[in-house]
Amino acid sequence: MTSVNPDLKLNHTPGHVKHDGHNMTGFVIFLCSESVIFLAFFAGYAVLKLTAPQWLPDGVEGLEVRMPLINSVVLVSSSFVAYLAERYLHKGNLWGFRAVWLLTMAMGSYFVFGQYIEWSELSFSLSSGVFGGLFYLLTGFHGLHVITGIGLMGLMLARSFVPGNYDKGEMGVAAVSLFWHFVDVIWILLFLLIYVWQ
Amino acid sequence: MTSTNYDPRILKAPHPVPGAPDNWKRFFSFNTDAKVIGIQYIATSLFFLLVGGLLAMIVRGELITPPADLVDPSVYNGLYTMHGTVMLFLFLFPILNGFNNLLIPTMIGAPDMAFPKLNAAAFWLVPVFATVLMGSFFAPGGPASSGWWSYPPMSLQNPLGHFINGEFLWILAVALSGISSIMGAVNFVTTIIRMRAPGMGFFKMPVYVWTAWAAQTIQLVGLPALTGGAVMLLFDLSFGTSFFRPEGGGDPVLFQHFFWFYSHPAVYVLVLPVFGIFSELFPVYARKPLFGYRFVALASFGITFLSLIVWAHHMFYTGTPNWMRHIFMFTTMLIAVPTGVKVFAWLGTLWQGNLRLNTPMLFCLGGLFNFIFAGITGVMLATVPIDIHVGNTYFVVAHFHYVIFNTIAFGVFAGIYHWFPKFTGRMYYEGLGKVHFALTFIGATLNWLPLHWAGLLGMPRRVASYDPEFAIWNVIASIGAFMLGVASIPFILNMVSSWARGPQAPPNPWRAIGLEWLLPSPPPAENFEDDIPTVISEPYGYGLGHPLVEDEEFYVRRSQEA
Amino acid sequence: MTTTAPKNGPNIGAILIISIAVAINLVIAKLMATWSYSWFPPQASSAAAYVDDLFALETGIGSFIFFGCTGVMGWVLLFNRAGKYDESDGAPIEGNTKLEIIWTIIPLVTVFAIAAYTMNVNMKLQTLGPKHKYAIGSDPTTLVSVDPSADIGPIDVIARQWSWEFVYPSGVRSSELHLPIDQRVNLRLISEDVLHSFYVPAFRLKQDIIPGSIISYSLTPTKEGRFRLRDAMFSGAYFSQNQTDVIVESEQTYDGWLKATAKQPLRPGLDPGRPLYDRRLSRGDKGWATVPPAPAPMVNDPGDPSLPHDA
Ligand code: HEA
Ligand code: HEA
Ligand code: CUA
Ligand SMILES: [Cu+2]
Repeated sequence: MTSVNPDLKLNHTPGHVKHDGHNMTGFVIFLCSESVIFLAFFAGYAVLKLTAPQWLPDGVEGLEVRMPLINSVVLVSSSFVAYLAERYLHKGNLWGFRAVWLLTMAMGSYFVFGQYIEWSELSFSLSSGVFGGLFYLLTGFHGLHVITGIGLMGLMLARSFVPGNYDKGEMGVAAVSLFWHFVDVIWILLFLLIYVWQ
Repeated sequence: MTSTNYDPRILKAPHPVPGAPDNWKRFFSFNTDAKVIGIQYIATSLFFLLVGGLLAMIVRGELITPPADLVDPSVYNGLYTMHGTVMLFLFLFPILNGFNNLLIPTMIGAPDMAFPKLNAAAFWLVPVFATVLMGSFFAPGGPASSGWWSYPPMSLQNPLGHFINGEFLWILAVALSGISSIMGAVNFVTTIIRMRAPGMGFFKMPVYVWTAWAAQTIQLVGLPALTGGAVMLLFDLSFGTSFFRPEGGGDPVLFQHFFWFYSHPAVYVLVLPVFGIFSELFPVYARKPLFGYRFVALASFGITFLSLIVWAHHMFYTGTPNWMRHIFMFTTMLIAVPTGVKVFAWLGTLWQGNLRLNTPMLFCLGGLFNFIFAGITGVMLATVPIDIHVGNTYFVVAHFHYVIFNTIAFGVFAGIYHWFPKFTGRMYYEGLGKVHFALTFIGATLNWLPLHWAGLLGMPRRVASYDPEFAIWNVIASIGAFMLGVASIPFILNMVSSWARGPQAPPNPWRAIGLEWLLPSPPPAENFEDDIPTVISEPYGYGLGHPLVEDEEFYVRRSQEA
Repeated sequence: MTTTAPKNGPNIGAILIISIAVAINLVIAKLMATWSYSWFPPQASSAAAYVDDLFALETGIGSFIFFGCTGVMGWVLLFNRAGKYDESDGAPIEGNTKLEIIWTIIPLVTVFAIAAYTMNVNMKLQTLGPKHKYAIGSDPTTLVSVDPSADIGPIDVIARQWSWEFVYPSGVRSSELHLPIDQRVNLRLISEDVLHSFYVPAFRLKQDIIPGSIISYSLTPTKEGRFRLRDAMFSGAYFSQNQTDVIVESEQTYDGWLKATAKQPLRPGLDPGRPLYDRRLSRGDKGWATVPPAPAPMVNDPGDPSLPHDA
């Protein structure tokens, strides 16, 4: 009974390799779940807007739409650009992928920058009533997602220089680009809610 | 010491190796083996059951006499808040995740979880937020004291004005717990969808896996809403917003919607796996197939769906308009239907069975008995005018302890005893188990049955002192509660001594049918490793005489030789 | 219940046993329903009888289900236990679709019937009036129109951490709520700090009070006596002390009380959290943090908490 089993696999990596499918499944499940946080915020926004005794803080008329609209167009088009990058990668054109992917990142960064400008010009703050709080909460939380997306894209870009990285498929890129589309769709809803429905 | 002839590598192996002495250190490391993580979860949460139980003992000690004499009322409020929080977030959620870790991979024949590292990370968040929560006892002004609902504006009052305060730490801990649970949920659902053994279609999955899946789906849909609400509450508390502060135009009732949108379904996250445990154990100990397996399996998702559209039954008296009360009353009562399907199926399983009353079966029967009672008081609470009278009284407290302790904790104990041999490789002591059951059943009944009457007479919950006419019910309740405290002694004794020196367990001591019973006790790290059996039958084929998997004898023989 | 019937036709013995069991269960359910009336405080408002009837109905149905199910459990425990060395399996019944459909439909119909009946009752009660949000600092009492069906009111019910104040239309202020019997009274529920709840067990009525909202609420007391009014929504450290009495009296007594009280000077009213707070301060402010109690309301009638209450 004290003998050693000779074919013990001690330093094994778990004996199952085909894991890419799991990762994507898991990621999609995560995104669905994540979207509920936004839904919760949106619902809170709608309820408070419809019922608050005072909605806009004193001295605030409404939000300026032009700049944010340009911003939104850039962000939403970047989704198509990301898709283009994926196509390049799929065809094996690595440099094309890198260039277009970088463009996506640039467009995302432009959005964040534009948001920063907008924030710095606003006359109300986080603590200006329910509207102030909601505005910064929603745009800020979304902005964090954009920044995360840019970071992840940077990671994928760096990984594209690892030789053989795409031999087993392009899971990482597909997931990040899915995330990016998600962030864009959320933005469209957010834009409608905050800027259009005034 | 006999361990001298072992290959030293075995002693360092990150998982149990059949036949080798147990390397207990792995339980204290960042181990990615689901079975190690499962035991880590269960041991941690049992410790917090003691902590939560100790807090409950002080609560019941205070309530044994009408005036607030044992502790200051402000302390009492902190105690019951922490009791509820510890019990839910540090006992029940983690222990059920422990079961998920042990049972899901072994029951579906997967070598491990889909994301082993994520799994370990989710577990190690538990001690982190446990520390945050326990640390809040030492925060200036004491721990959170606004109840586990943390309703604003009360929860935002922060009398001392410190940035770090009990409420702040409480929100932080709850948010971390949410993150850990989401990580777990993504993992469990992915594993169930993608990693079943060959031949195991959805209608060949054991019901426990169905219920775990249904429960984790609730986590995925509901938890983010609570997280959203918690973030807003934190901003109100610490960063000057006024989402829920009426002074700034916010709406305190909005928080209640966020809270219950998750926290109502959460109770089914807790009870569904216990329904799974009942569905696994009744067939084994009644020696009969589970009655109406497909109905029982599907009813889980019926409960999941309904659970998401009933939350406002916790808000019947908050100014909810009548039409809304009516909708939520209907949806709430509908839950009795899929639940009834399960209850009747269990009774059908017992009927004409060949019952063996060992400890797990006793806990199952006791749990089912209590659950039928609790469900009926639940339907009473769903009835708007009745709820308007008994809401926020001890009737509610009694209702939910009847489910949460008298049903769920019973199911958890049943599960622990039933799978103890499988995952520790040791048998527990039946006699101690039965003592544990008897004390628990009597204590729990004494504790919670009388409090229904206190509630009907109008005793509010969350009070440190009460009018003398409620004393009699509270005295009985406190005696019952102390009995529950005593009941933990045979349990702890049993667990510790059996694991240390209990008799070796065979692979299938209960002659149960299921993939996990085709594995050695305890199962090796990768479960079936490279030869995963092909499932050919529905589970629970007791008395039907057909094999569960292809080449069943091969697996049985292998499990016995290990 | 399910499979006592052998393959060849109905089994008279089994049907007999089941019928007797059902009959006994019906009797028990009826007894439980009758008994359930004694579990409540006296019925002191027009809502109480409805609530107690509904509760009795559900106690009856619930008892029938509970004893029916646990009866089956008792039966198998008595007659279907395996002997010590009996390793055999039970009857391999996998299910019975007809039966499963029946036990889906019956609960469905039962709960629908209960819910529909309750809806009906609920429409009759009509206690909750409109709720209006207001900005803290403005005067909310202009917002709520008086319930036209009410005989008296509106009486403002003001809840604080941790005291109650009642302001009558004539301006009389009191720490206890005096109401005339058999008159529909309209209340306006107001909180100045956190959530509270207006709960009178003998009335079977409860309504949360929400800061930033004013809620119109109407009820009809139907029994004379002194009843407990308890805050039922957790409101902080001295929540459990936040109680007072509702005094339901004849119309003459009520009118007399109003007149006499109007002549009384304003003085500090009931402030039940205060003694505990002072005790705490005198012991060096030990305990966990709490906001101090709000100042005692200034009232014409401070009430007498030492009088015994009826429920
Ligand atoms: C943990 C598990 C759990 C479970 C499973 C349940 C199950 C149910 N609960 Fe409970 N509940 C809680 C935990 C749970 N509850 C908690 C923790 C609280 C309080 C939280 C707090 O305030 O702090 C609470 C509070 C609570 C309230 C709010 C009371 C208030 O605050 O005013 C209500 C109201 O509707 C309610 C209803 C129900 C109903 C209808 C069910 C149903 O699911 C029950 C269904 C089951 C059955 C009905 C029995 C079996 C069925 C049959 C045998 C079929 C035939 C039956 C009929 C035809 C009736 N519960
Ligand atoms: C999983 C959930 C769970 C469990 C298992 C329990 C178990 C128990 N609870 Fe529960 N309770 C809640 C969840 C739970 N509770 C929640 C959510 C609330 C609401 C909080 C709120 O309103 O905000 C609540 C509120 C609550 C109240 C109401 C407080 C109030 O409203 O004022 C009371 C009072 O009796 C109570 C008592 C008990 C008792 C006696 C037990 C017993 O069953 C416990 C039995 C104890 C043990 C089995 C452990 C024994 C251990 C020892 C004796 C100590 C030994 C110690 C060491 C060795 C270190 N609880
Ligand atoms: Cu993990 Cu296959
Ligand atoms: Cu609920």
